[in-house]
Amino acid sequence: MTLATILSNEVEYKNIIKNIFFEVFANLSEADFAWNKEQKDYNNWDSFAQLNLITLVESKFDITLSLEESINIKSANEILECVRSHLK
Amino acid sequence: MCSISFKMNVINFLEESKKRHPTKVALVDEEKSLTFQELYQEVQSFSTSIAFLNKKNIISLMSENSVSFIISYLGIINAGKIVHLISPEISEINLSNQLKSSDSEAIICSNTVKKNLSKFVSIKIPFFEFEDIRSQSTQDKKNIKTNNLAYLIYTSGTTSEPKGVAISHVMIEFTTKNIIKVLGYSDLDVDVLPLPLYHSFGLGCFHTSLYVGSTLVLLKNANNLEHILQSLEKNNATTLAIIPATLTKLLKLDRSVLENYFTNIRLIITNSTPIPKNTVQNFKEILKNGHLATYYGLTEASRSTFMIFEKNNEREESVGRVAPEIEIKIVSKDNDNLGMGEIWIKGNNVIKKYWNNTEADKNIVDRWLQTGDIGYFDKENYLFLKGRNDDIINIGGEKIVPREIEEVVMQIAGVEEVAAFGIKHEIFGQVIKLNVVKAKDSDLDKFVILTHCLKNLEKFKVPSKIDFVESIPKTDYGKVKRFMLK
Repeated sequence: MTLATILSNEVEYKNIIKNIFFEVFANLSEADFAWNKEQKDYNNWDSFAQLNLITLVESKFDITLSLEESINIKSANEILECVRSHLK
Repeated sequence: MCSISFKMNVINFLEESKKRHPTKVALVDEEKSLTFQELYQEVQSFSTSIAFLNKKNIISLMSENSVSFIISYLGIINAGKIVHLISPEISEINLSNQLKSSDSEAIICSNTVKKNLSKFVSIKIPFFEFEDIRSQSTQDKKNIKTNNLAYLIYTSGTTSEPKGVAISHVMIEFTTKNIIKVLGYSDLDVDVLPLPLYHSFGLGCFHTSLYVGSTLVLLKNANNLEHILQSLEKNNATTLAIIPATLTKLLKLDRSVLENYFTNIRLIITNSTPIPKNTVQNFKEILKNGHLATYYGLTEASRSTFMIFEKNNEREESVGRVAPEIEIKIVSKDNDNLGMGEIWIKGNNVIKKYWNNTEADKNIVDRWLQTGDIGYFDKENYLFLKGRNDDIINIGGEKIVPREIEEVVMQIAGVEEVAAFGIKHEIFGQVIKLNVVKAKDSDLDKFVILTHCLKNLEKFKVPSKIDFVESIPKTDYGKVKRFMLK
C-alpha cells in the first residue's frame, strides 16, 4: 500500500467516523467534536448510544467488533484505532 | 354425543336460504355453480354417503376452495360429525400430529391433495377423494345425529406449536349475526372469496353468505390479482374478502383501471394483519360506492372488533370498536404503559377450552381469553394492535414492540418487507435484529436504514443487526412467524 493510499484511507475513515458521531449525537456541533474527547465529556453518550455507535461503525466498515472492543471504546480516536486494526 | 343447546346450526342456515331462494345460485367455483336447492340435495346425499364412516366423531377435510369443499363440509356436519379442517399445504409431520390429536377417522380431500397424501408414509388413516365418496351407495339417514361442535382448526400459530380450536354452532351463529349486523350483508350481495375456506376468515365469510342467502364466488388463488379483478366484473360482485398484502399489491395497478373494477363494490373486508396506512387511505378514495373494513379476531375468538374505514375517520391503523355483545379489556402488569397491555376477550364468540390441551386452557380464565396480543384503546374506544406479548423485545429493561420499529423502517424507499425481533446479547440481554427484504433493483444499504432509525426512533430502539433476506416467514394470512426468526 502506498503512503498516498494510506493517507487517503485515513481521511476517509475519519470522515466516516465523524459523520457517525453526528448521526448518533444529533445535537453535536462541529465545534463540540474532538477526536480525543471522552465518553464522560458527552452529555448523552450512554450505553445505548455506545451500542448505536458500534452498530453504525460495523455497518459502514463491514467489520465486527469483539465484545471487549465494544466495551473499551471511550472516544472517537479509539474507534478510529479499532477500525484501523480491523482494516489493516 | 353432546346435547343440543343452540338455536340454529349451519345446516339450518342452508335450509332457511333454500326455502327463501331455491333457484338462486348459492355457489360458484371455477368449474361449476349450484343453486341453494341443488346444494341442499348434494349435502343430504353426501351425509348419507359417509354413513360407512361410523366409528369416530371427526372427519378431516383437506382441499383448495371449491364447491366440493362446501358440500363435504356441510355434509360432514349434517351427518352429526365435526369437520377437522386442514391446509392442503401442511407438512407430513404437522399432519401426522394433527391427526393424532384430533383422532380423526378419515380424510376427505381433493384430487390434488390425494396425490400428495399418497406420498405420506406416516398417514395411517384412510383418505377419500370427493368422487370416491359420491360413488358410495347412499344409505338410510335414520342414524344421523347432531353435534354441538361444527369444526376443528389447528391454529397456524405465529408464536408456537399449533393448538386445536373447536368451534360450536352457537359460536358460528353468534359471529355470523354480528358480521351481518355490522357489515350489512344481505341476499342482494355477490361475495367474491379468494381466501382459503380452511381458515376462520374464509369460513366465516362462507357462513355469512349461507345465512343471508347471497351468492358466494370461490377462487382458489389469492395471489392471482388479474383473476380476482376479472371475477369481480364477471359476477357483478358487491363484496370482496382479501388480505391486506393483496390490497397493497393491487395499488401497483393503474388507478383508473382499479376504480373501474371496484365501482360496484360496497365492501372490501380484510383481516387484522396490519394494513399499511397508505393502503387504507388509497382504498378510501378508490371505493366510490363502498367501504374498506377490517376486524380483529382469532380462531379462538372470531370477529371481536370491527372497523369500517370512513372518509372522515383518520384511524387508519385501528382495528375498530368492540363487536356487539362482546367484552374486551386491556390487562397490564406495569403501571407506566399508558393504557397498553394484553388484550382479553369474553363473549359467545370465545371458545370455552382448547382441544385436548390443558396447557393451552390456562389462557382461558373465567371465560376471558388471554390473547397474547398487545394493544390499547383510544379515548373513543377504538382498539389499536401493537404486537404480541411473546414478541416484546427487552433491551436492558426497555420493552419494545417490534411493530413500532417495522413501521419506521417501512418508510424507507427500497424496503419491501421487514421483520424486527430480539436476539441475545451479552450485555443488554437482547438487542434488535432486522430481516429486510429489499425491493427489486434497490441499492439500499444497511447504513441508510440505521441512520433513518436514529432520526425516527429513541436510541434504544435502533436495530443492532440487519440482514437482507429473500423472504420473511409468514402465516397464510400474512402474519410474521417471529418464532421462526429468533
